[in-house]
Amino acid sequence: MGMKFLMRILTAALALSITAPALATEADEGLTLKGEPRIAMLYISPRNDGGWTQAFDEARLKLEERLGHRIQYVESVPENASSIRPAAERLIQRGANIIIGTAFGYSDTFEDLARRHPEVAFLNGSGTTNSRNLQSFYGRTYESQYLCGMAAAAASKSGRLGFVAANPFGQVNWTVNAFALGAQKINPDATVTVIYTGSWNDPVRERAAAAALIDRGADVIGQHVDSPTPQIVAQERGVFGTGHHRDMSEFAPAATVCSSVWVWDRFLEPELENIFAGGWKPQLDGALLSMAEGGTDIACCGPAVAEEHVSTIMAAREELLQGNKRIYQGPLYDRNGTLKIADGELPSDGELWQMDWFVKGVITQQ
Amino acid sequence: MDLIASWLGNTPDFAVPFALAALGLIITERAGVLSLGAEGLMLVGALAGIGAQLAYGSAELSLLIAMLSASVVSILFAIMVVLLRINQVIAGLSLVFFCQGLTGLLGTLWGWTNRPVSGMSSISLWPLSELPLIGKVFVQNPVVYLTPLIFLAVVWFLTRSGTGLRLRAVGENPQAADSVGIPVLWYRVAAILAGAALIGLAGGYLSVLSTKLWIADMTGGRGWIAIALVIFARWYPWRALMGALLFGCVEALIPQLAAAGIRLPQYFILMTPYAVTLGVMIWVAASKRAGGEQPGALGIPFVREERR
Repeated sequence: MGMKFLMRILTAALALSITAPALATEADEGLTLKGEPRIAMLYISPRNDGGWTQAFDEARLKLEERLGHRIQYVESVPENASSIRPAAERLIQRGANIIIGTAFGYSDTFEDLARRHPEVAFLNGSGTTNSRNLQSFYGRTYESQYLCGMAAAAASKSGRLGFVAANPFGQVNWTVNAFALGAQKINPDATVTVIYTGSWNDPVRERAAAAALIDRGADVIGQHVDSPTPQIVAQERGVFGTGHHRDMSEFAPAATVCSSVWVWDRFLEPELENIFAGGWKPQLDGALLSMAEGGTDIACCGPAVAEEHVSTIMAAREELLQGNKRIYQGPLYDRNGTLKIADGELPSDGELWQMDWFVKGVITQQ
Repeated sequence: MDLIASWLGNTPDFAVPFALAALGLIITERAGVLSLGAEGLMLVGALAGIGAQLAYGSAELSLLIAMLSASVVSILFAIMVVLLRINQVIAGLSLVFFCQGLTGLLGTLWGWTNRPVSGMSSISLWPLSELPLIGKVFVQNPVVYLTPLIFLAVVWFLTRSGTGLRLRAVGENPQAADSVGIPVLWYRVAAILAGAALIGLAGGYLSVLSTKLWIADMTGGRGWIAIALVIFARWYPWRALMGALLFGCVEALIPQLAAAGIRLPQYFILMTPYAVTLGVMIWVAASKRAGGEQPGALGIPFVREERR
């Protein structure tokens, strides 16, 4: 015993830690679960938050029914390692071997957990990290928001649309641009005035933003924030709106003409079946799901959308669901007339995540 | 012109929660109790207000219940700082975290999240409401008109009534107040409860009248801004009202500029209320007169016959 023994253990551990990952990648035939699949989910918010998390919970119920597996869940797990790790570790201790997260802020902790538990399959909605047993996924929300833009322009009399957005990030800007492109499909002169509130969930600011847009003449309010406030304001003021996350006609039945909704069960059902089957290999650049792959869909259309437009919107939806339509396809110019996507080209996912330009007709403060 | 008209018209709605919360804090702190729990008590008021509105449908009753609930929760704070003489900073901070957790939990359990309510309809003060440019300032919900009256009543109470003078004596020099027979501890408990009622009203206003729905943590730091306002106002109610109006102006201007498509850097604008807070604190610190104006015994627990 003593120093020598300790050193030997240390060198052995070191050697193992260097060779183990190498071995794993060499002989990687994907992940096959040991034993029966046991699924557990970590929610970032309460399951009845009316938006993001509730959409996951609705998917969970459908999955339980269709897959015949009970799915455990833990609510309100904040986005820090000291909260995520104990919750996930306990679920794994109790036998869970498929862990599904629901937050961007889980990314790093999930990457670490996936390394520590190579026999467990990890999935993370809106995450950014991927590995041999961790798959992050998100939806191409610009497809469904394009359709909402069409519905918004169809419901608008003035062609002046408003949009309440959270932060000027790529995945928010892509919904703004798609909303404008969809609107201009119906009304080529439509404009979209955007207010960024700087927060995902601040009803005070969202209300002020929606009211200000309506004061300035907007008669349809789109949104990419978490609370239904913009829809409620639209209804109070007698104008229209389009929702995000879930069907927001629940909150503003007279106002909401279309909502971009999450349909996670359409992605998770085949993905979980792949995991059950064994030899599961995540996509290492993340799964960015089109409507055809089961990311988003729309709840459409309210009575304010004329019948002829409903059929146009539904035809476009069908094309997207079949995977036959691209929203971002060259030539695309920004509002200053600079060519952003060349003729016939498609932007890469990386370019989409970095989108910091706006198409013609988008009015922002930047 | 439109921009200025709707900007001015929206300002009171933003200013009222700041003003009421700051006034509540002034009452509590004038009695010598440092209260950092405003953010938490506002959340309690906001949740209770929405709950009552969903259950009974009356906005007036909801606001009363919001006030009452915040007072009830503040009894906990009163026991900690007045009876047990726990450090007031720590007690205040823990009250905030407790209320954040409690309201988040109860709002979820009882399903009150994201349930829109109707609020109160606006009252137009004719003929003022017909004035050009500033007409919209006089189309507001009843609580906006009530707020200056509440301020008037509190100022009268603190400066003209015997009870108010005794309350301030308790905050300035509790030993002296005690020696003339003022029950220091009871005054402090009452000041905490009364202050909490106004802070609860601010929270109830935010949820029932302003946003018209409840979301966990919806106060978004407004309770902390109210604390800064009190320091800015040097514990004088009218100055606090002015400060609240200033903040209301800034907050109301942000969406107006954006809706008008005026190009200004996004994050700079979102930062302005907090930058104003910082500026105000620095200004107050730099221009402090000898002796200062904060209540003499602020933050110091009272023990009878204690030697100093």
